[in-house]
Amino acid sequence: MNEHRLQILQMLSEGKISPDEAERLISAMEERPSAGSSQKAPESGTKARPKYLRVQVDSEEAGHEGPTKVNVRVPMQLLRAGVKLAGLIPPQALHRANQAIHEQGIPFDLSQIKPENLEELIDQLSDLSVDVDQKDHEANVKVRVFCE
Amino acid sequence: MIPLVAVVSLRGRESRTLRVWVPLILLWLLLVPFAVLLSPLIFIVCLVCRVNPFHAFSVGWQILRALNDTQVAVEHRSAGVSICVF
Repeated sequence: MNEHRLQILQMLSEGKISPDEAERLISAMEERPSAGSSQKAPESGTKARPKYLRVQVDSEEAGHEGPTKVNVRVPMQLLRAGVKLAGLIPPQALHRANQAIHEQGIPFDLSQIKPENLEELIDQLSDLSVDVDQKDHEANVKVRVFCE
Repeated sequence: MIPLVAVVSLRGRESRTLRVWVPLILLWLLLVPFAVLLSPLIFIVCLVCRVNPFHAFSVGWQILRALNDTQVAVEHRSAGVSICVF
């Protein structure tokens, strides 16, 4: 918190922001944690942590007999263990994997995945639902990813 | 608890479903002697790769335990496969 306040004051001293803007930023910064905690408190009491990650794919391709449905339920524990497994990857292999990912144009660093980050991610996943619906003349694909 | 049973359901064109209960506990019991025999080799490989062998074992065990309640199902008009691990 103090770091943010210092940053705002530094921006003010450098003339990047006006005193009014600095005041607004600081007041917004002070209000956010209290608002966040007041919203989180009732949620934490009622909302259960997700136990599974569900992936559903419904695909219908032209020329095929019928639709293909894929339904996968992965326990969150398995995700946690998988992230721990990623921690066992030797640094050289991790470097190569990162390079390959960057070559594909994905700005992602595998070394940043840590179990403590995963807990935070899983907490956020309870609100996550990804729906992809692709329709064209050849195929009709629906993908749903959510936690339950 | 590690998974003890896997239920594999296979559905063919005639809509007949074949359900097989696979006692994984027997599989684990069969694999234990191999795991014991291979453990020195695994230990050396871990050291060569600069991975803590005890940590590797711990993570492997956690993955095995986490497999419980995993479910994979693929359905098509003509066939379907479903695997549930308990």
